[in-house]
Amino acid sequence: MAGTRLIAALFGAFLTCFALSVSAAEVRVFAAASLTNALNDIGKLYTERTGNTMVGTYAASSALARQVEQGAPADIFASADLKWMDYMTEHKLVDPQSRFNLLGNTLVLIAPVNSKLGAVDLTDKTDFAALAGDGHIATGNPDSVPVGLYFKQAMERSGQWGKVAPKVAGTDSVRAALVLVERDEAPIGVVYATDAAVSPKVKVIGVFPATLHDPIVYPFAALTSAKPDISQPFLDFLRTPEAKGVFARYGFKIN
Amino acid sequence: MDPTWFTLTPLEREALSLSLLVSGWAVVGSLPFGILFAWLLARRSFPGKTLLDGVIHLPLVLPPVVVGYALLVLFGRRGLLGTPLHDWFGITIAFTWKGAAIASALVAFPLMVRAIRLALEGVDRRLEQAARTLGCGPIQSFFVVTLPLSLPGVLAGVILAFARSLSEFGATITFVSNIPGETRTLPIALYALTQVPGGDAPAFRLCVISVIVAFAALLASEILARRVRERIGG
Amino acid sequence: MLEIDVYRRQGAFALDISLSAGSGVTALFGRSGSGKTSLVNMVAGLAKPDRGRIAIDDRVLFDPAAGIDLPPEARRVGYVFQEHRLFPHLSVRQNLCFGRDRLREAERTVSFDHVVAVLGIEPLLDRRPAGLSGGEKQRVAIGRALLAAPRLLLMDEPLASLDGGRKNELLPFIAGLSRQFTIPILYVSHSMDEVLRLADTLALIEAGRLVVIGSVEEILSSPNYASLTGHGEAGAVISATLAETDSRYGISHLRFPGGVLKVTQIDRPFGTPVRVRIHARDVALALHVPPGLISVRNQIPAVVRSIAPFDDSQIDVMLDCGGAPLWSRITSEAQAELALEPGQAVTALIKSLTITRGDVSDRGNGQTGALPG
Repeated sequence: MAGTRLIAALFGAFLTCFALSVSAAEVRVFAAASLTNALNDIGKLYTERTGNTMVGTYAASSALARQVEQGAPADIFASADLKWMDYMTEHKLVDPQSRFNLLGNTLVLIAPVNSKLGAVDLTDKTDFAALAGDGHIATGNPDSVPVGLYFKQAMERSGQWGKVAPKVAGTDSVRAALVLVERDEAPIGVVYATDAAVSPKVKVIGVFPATLHDPIVYPFAALTSAKPDISQPFLDFLRTPEAKGVFARYGFKIN
Repeated sequence: MDPTWFTLTPLEREALSLSLLVSGWAVVGSLPFGILFAWLLARRSFPGKTLLDGVIHLPLVLPPVVVGYALLVLFGRRGLLGTPLHDWFGITIAFTWKGAAIASALVAFPLMVRAIRLALEGVDRRLEQAARTLGCGPIQSFFVVTLPLSLPGVLAGVILAFARSLSEFGATITFVSNIPGETRTLPIALYALTQVPGGDAPAFRLCVISVIVAFAALLASEILARRVRERIGG
Repeated sequence: MLEIDVYRRQGAFALDISLSAGSGVTALFGRSGSGKTSLVNMVAGLAKPDRGRIAIDDRVLFDPAAGIDLPPEARRVGYVFQEHRLFPHLSVRQNLCFGRDRLREAERTVSFDHVVAVLGIEPLLDRRPAGLSGGEKQRVAIGRALLAAPRLLLMDEPLASLDGGRKNELLPFIAGLSRQFTIPILYVSHSMDEVLRLADTLALIEAGRLVVIGSVEEILSSPNYASLTGHGEAGAVISATLAETDSRYGISHLRFPGGVLKVTQIDRPFGTPVRVRIHARDVALALHVPPGLISVRNQIPAVVRSIAPFDDSQIDVMLDCGGAPLWSRITSEAQAELALEPGQAVTALIKSLTITRGDVSDRGNGQTGALPG
């Protein structure tokens, strides 16, 4: 008898955990990995200003799109390229009315901070395969992750994708590529300028000319499944000077 | 039925052949060590034997990611052993199928050793004694008497290790990442597909291929073991 | 010539044995746990003495003082185990040739065909051990050990796990082995029946010690070892040869140094060497036997060697019949009347009916044991 009572009590406590987690006014943000540091800071500011909390999940835009498609609970989606936001719009997963482009970024070539490689003037003639030497070029998966897609575009436009492709070490997200270069697992990597800025273990050795790839744009939108009184305040907050200041500090271009 | 159902896409062919290559070499490369350690644990006693047993079984209880990370620290480009290997011998293991094979071998090793050890312990030591009195040295008697008699168990260990290494993911992706044509084995290819919207159908196909391969391996091991058992005559 | 001198502390007692064994079959007899198998394992190299020396002829197998300790595979000592230990994954032929194949051409002195013929295992050659009977397996095991051309053959109770019929099947094979292949055999047994039928020399082992070593007849005829040999009853064991059989009366004549013994008919070829057991209580003594007046068929002239009381009412008299020992147990009353003395000539009377088939076993070595001084 006492045994079953105990089990019932534990089960009840277990269930209330679920109830508790939903009742607070919390906005869940699924955002591209390169936004990690900036959005975390903005989230703290948001709590200070409004008393509501922000919970951020950061990964490659492609992975997040898939998770939302599979039913992952979220209120706001922020992608590192237009492709995945378009995908979400097509599949009616985001509210097109709430969508807006907020930020821009630059594609850079990085190397470990102790690397012997010096600054390189990147043009469409630069031989990337040679730069990598006998190692690999770390970047996001060029089939799906935005930073990888931008890089692939740049290589296709300079006609060297065929040579470069076998040397690419494609990772799940831009931050994972950053880690590979930090560890000197890969002698060079291609990430966003904002990512290079947050890591003391890598140095930027080249900047990609903007003509080599589509402009890097960060669209934000509310998910169709979100409650507007939860999602809209946060989207508005992102456009305040305070939030834009945070983004700028991290190196993002503001639209 | 649509014929494309049975033909493999280039991606699938690459993942399948890579998986077979990696797992095959993982098993073949670790078999001599598997037999050696199984023999040490089954037939010899020495100080530190329990410790050795524990170390061999570590990959069985550690998260595979931990195993992969340990390999990275050791054999990565800037790893403890990776640096001398690269600088002195020009050997790189990171991001190569060899690295994937090592990761698989390590994770599957405890299973192989356990099965072989069990098989060796099942061989009557008195037969080995008899062989000695007939002029067979200890090493020869191992290969001529002990090993043949423990063959069903050894086979079981090999197939088990092969199956485990076919399914190896955590250590592989941590150590050698996901390089198409080099380290993108079936599990890793499957995982990559699940990270992308619209990857479900090809992911499912890879799933089916994985199941077929694993099943074929188990079936082969059962048939082989039965044949060998008959030959031994019990 | 096998020379053993070993010491080993094991469990409750210490094994401390020193013996020499020549050609023919030397039986190691003793209770279970007395150390016989340990001793044999030491000769084979499967167990290690604490100290000592083991040598066969001029070849030293073990002598730590000289830094010699040959591993089993280097000793050329054959071993037939109690449980055949045939290799299950090899055919009978492969088992037989296992040791042989590891010898150099010049060392393969034992003929494969000869061994197969002697052991009668030709039809089994291509079969697997699993399908053979116990007796067949043991024959193959013996053949396997022989074909490795050993200098010495060890046999550890090879017949213990066989039933009576199988034992009888194999005993003749083993009996002839030593002569046929001219190698000395060290045979461990706790069956006196086997010892009687196979052994030339008998070594009694008790609690790790060698109690006595000598000819089978000598030891079994002496009352000193009765408790160890299990031959509790006083009596003599005599070597004899079957001279003739009179089937009219169902009587066989056994010739021995003291004359001829008439016993219940034995069906054996003439000239077969046998051992005869004559219980002391079946032997009566007479100072003088009138001819043609006594039913007793065996009237053997003998000389009294010694007289000793067995208990309050019985006396054991040891006799010498032309060199063969004989024991007679008579009542104290009889001795009081006859007043026998050592050196006296008497006639030993043994009813032929008292010597049954069970008392006669194959195998004698043609020699009689010397009487204990």
